[in-house]
Amino acid sequence: MPNDPLLTLATDALPEPSPPPAPAARSPWRSVARTVGLYAITIWAVVTIVFLLPRAIPGDPLQHLDDPDSGAFVEDSRSRELAMAYYGLDRPLLDQYRLYLSGLVDGDLGWSISQRAPVGELIGRRLPWTLLLVGSSMLLASAVSFVAGVSAAWRRGSVTDKALIVSLAGTRAVPEYAIASALLILFAVTWPVLPMAGGQTAFARYPNGWEAAKDVFNHLVLPMSSLTLGLAANQFLIVRNSAISTLGEDYMLLARAKGLPPRLLKYRHSGRNVLLPFLTAFGVQVGFAVSASLFVEKVFSYPGIGTLIDSAVTARDYPLLQGLFVMLALVVIAANFLVDLAYKWVDPRVA
Amino acid sequence: MTLPAVALPAGRTGVVTRARARVAGAAGALFVGFFTVLAVFGEQLAPYRATELAGPSLEPPSDAHLLGTNLLGQDVASQLILGARASLVIALLAGVGTVLVGGMVGVIAGWFRGWVDAVLMRVTDVVLVVPKLPLLLLVGALTGGRVGALSLLIAVTFWPVTARVLRSQVLSLRTRTHVRAATGFGAGTWHQLRNHILPDLALLSLAELIPAASRAVALQAGLAFLGVGDPSQPTWGGMIRDAIAYRSVFLIEAWKWWLVPPILAIVTLVAGISLLGTAGERRLSPRVSRHTR
Repeated sequence: MPNDPLLTLATDALPEPSPPPAPAARSPWRSVARTVGLYAITIWAVVTIVFLLPRAIPGDPLQHLDDPDSGAFVEDSRSRELAMAYYGLDRPLLDQYRLYLSGLVDGDLGWSISQRAPVGELIGRRLPWTLLLVGSSMLLASAVSFVAGVSAAWRRGSVTDKALIVSLAGTRAVPEYAIASALLILFAVTWPVLPMAGGQTAFARYPNGWEAAKDVFNHLVLPMSSLTLGLAANQFLIVRNSAISTLGEDYMLLARAKGLPPRLLKYRHSGRNVLLPFLTAFGVQVGFAVSASLFVEKVFSYPGIGTLIDSAVTARDYPLLQGLFVMLALVVIAANFLVDLAYKWVDPRVA
Repeated sequence: MTLPAVALPAGRTGVVTRARARVAGAAGALFVGFFTVLAVFGEQLAPYRATELAGPSLEPPSDAHLLGTNLLGQDVASQLILGARASLVIALLAGVGTVLVGGMVGVIAGWFRGWVDAVLMRVTDVVLVVPKLPLLLLVGALTGGRVGALSLLIAVTFWPVTARVLRSQVLSLRTRTHVRAATGFGAGTWHQLRNHILPDLALLSLAELIPAASRAVALQAGLAFLGVGDPSQPTWGGMIRDAIAYRSVFLIEAWKWWLVPPILAIVTLVAGISLLGTAGERRLSPRVSRHTR
C-alpha cells in the first residue's frame, strides 16, 4: 500500500501531524501562578512539619538533664530553666516558630550535635556528590529507557520485548542495595576493574584536572550503574505502554502511508508523543532517585548525602536529620516544580 | 480507526496469559505462605535465639549452622527465620492502614465533592510531592523503629495514591443509575455509602492493598538497612545493614551466607505478594484482566 502512487500524492500534500489546537486559553500565567502557589504551600508544609514533629512527641530535648543515670544530670531546677532559656525553649510556640523560620530564611539549618559543625556546611560539602550521582543516573536511565521503550513498543510481542519486560519488571522487586551489592561483588571483587568504595582515591594527588576527573568517574561508574538499573525499569514500562498507544493513532497510519522510514516513525511520530507521560514520570522519578541514592551510597560508601544521613540516623542527630530532610524535600519539590512548568510549556493543552 | 498493519491480535500484546497467571498465583501463594509459617512459628523453628552467640565468628554453612554465622557468631538462619515476623506484620498493618486512610480521604472527597474535595485533593498533591523515605527516616529516628509505629507512619505518608484511585471510582459510582435513584428516594449519605458505594469499592481496595503491602515490606527493610529499626527484634534489613557495615564482607566468602540470604528473602516476599496480587486481580475482576491482557 505505501507504494500506491495515488496515495503518495494525496498524502504528500498533507501537513505534518500537529496536536489539536488549544482551546481559546485564559492567560497561561493563571495556571503558572496556581502551580507556584501549590508548591509554596508544599514547602511551607514541609518546613512546618519539621518544626512541629519534635514538639508534638512527648518529652523535650532537655529530658536527659532530669535523668539521674545520665552524665548530663543536673540536680537543681534552676540550671534546667537556664538551659531552656538559652535554647529559647521557654518561649511561646509561635515565638519559637518565628525564630525557626527567620533562621531558615537566613540559611541557618542548625548545629549538628554529633559532627559539631553547622548543618548547612555539612550538607553543602556532601551535596555535590549526590547531585553528580543522581543527575548522571537519571540522565542515563532516561536515555536508555526512552530508546528501549520506544523500540520495544515498536516490536511488541517479540522475544526482545518480552525479555526486556520480564527482566525489568523483575528488577523492580529487587531493592537498590541488592543491585549495588551484586555489581560491587562482580566488578570490584570477582573481576576487580573498578574501585569498591568512595568518591575518589584517598589522599590522591592529581597531575592535572583530567586525571582527577578520570578518578572521580571511575568511582562513579558502579554507583551510577546501580542507580540507573533501579530507575530504568519504571521509566521503560511507562515509555513502552504510551508508545504502544500511539501506534494505533491515525497519524501513524498516515506517516506509514507516506512511506517514511521506520526510524522517523519510531522516534518522531511515536517517540515525540511519549514525551508527555515520560516527563510526568520524570518528576516522580526525582523523588524516587533521591531515596534510592541513599541505599546505593551506603553500599559504596559514596561521600554524598546518603552516608551523611546514615551517620545522622545512627547518632540520632536530630538537627542534622532535620536539615537533611528539609534540603532533600526542597530539591525534590524544586525538581517537580520545574517538571510541572516544563509540562505546561511542552503541551499547551495542559495549561 | 486502528492500524491493522501494526496492531497484533489481542492477547499477544502482553506477556501474562491466563495459564501463566495461575502459575504466578500459585508461586506467590507458596512464597507468602512459607514466610507466614516462619513468622508465626519462628521461635519453634529457629534453632537459636536471634542474639545468641551460637558459634565462632563468620563460620561457613555447616550442619550446626545451616547458613553459617555472622561476625558476632550469631546463627544467620535463625535470624532469617525470626526476621520474617517484622516483615509480614508490617505488610499487613501498613498495607491495611494505607488503604484505610486513603480510602477514607478518597470516599469523603469523591462523595461530598465541592470544596471538601478541592481541599482534600490539594492536601493529597502536597503529600505526594514530599520525599517519603527521608521523612520516614526523620520521624523513625525520633520515635524508634517499632513495627506498630512504623506501620502507622507508612500509612500516613503513602495514602495519596490509594485516595486518588478510590476517589475517581466514587465519582464514577455516584453517577450510576442505582445510586441516583436511591438519592431520588431520599437516601441519606450514610445509607448510600454503606449500601451502594463501599461494597463496590471492596475489590478495588483489595487491589490497592497488594502494592501497599509489598511496598511496606521493601520500605521496612530499607529503613532497617539505614538504621531505623527496632533493635529488640531481628529484621532482614538490619541483617543486611550489619553485613555491609563490616566492609570486608565483600572481600571474603562471608557475603554468600550472610548478605545474600536476607536479600533473597526480601525479594522473594515482595515478588510473592505482587504475584499473588496479579493472579488475584484476574480471578476477582475479569474486567481488569481483559484490559491488561
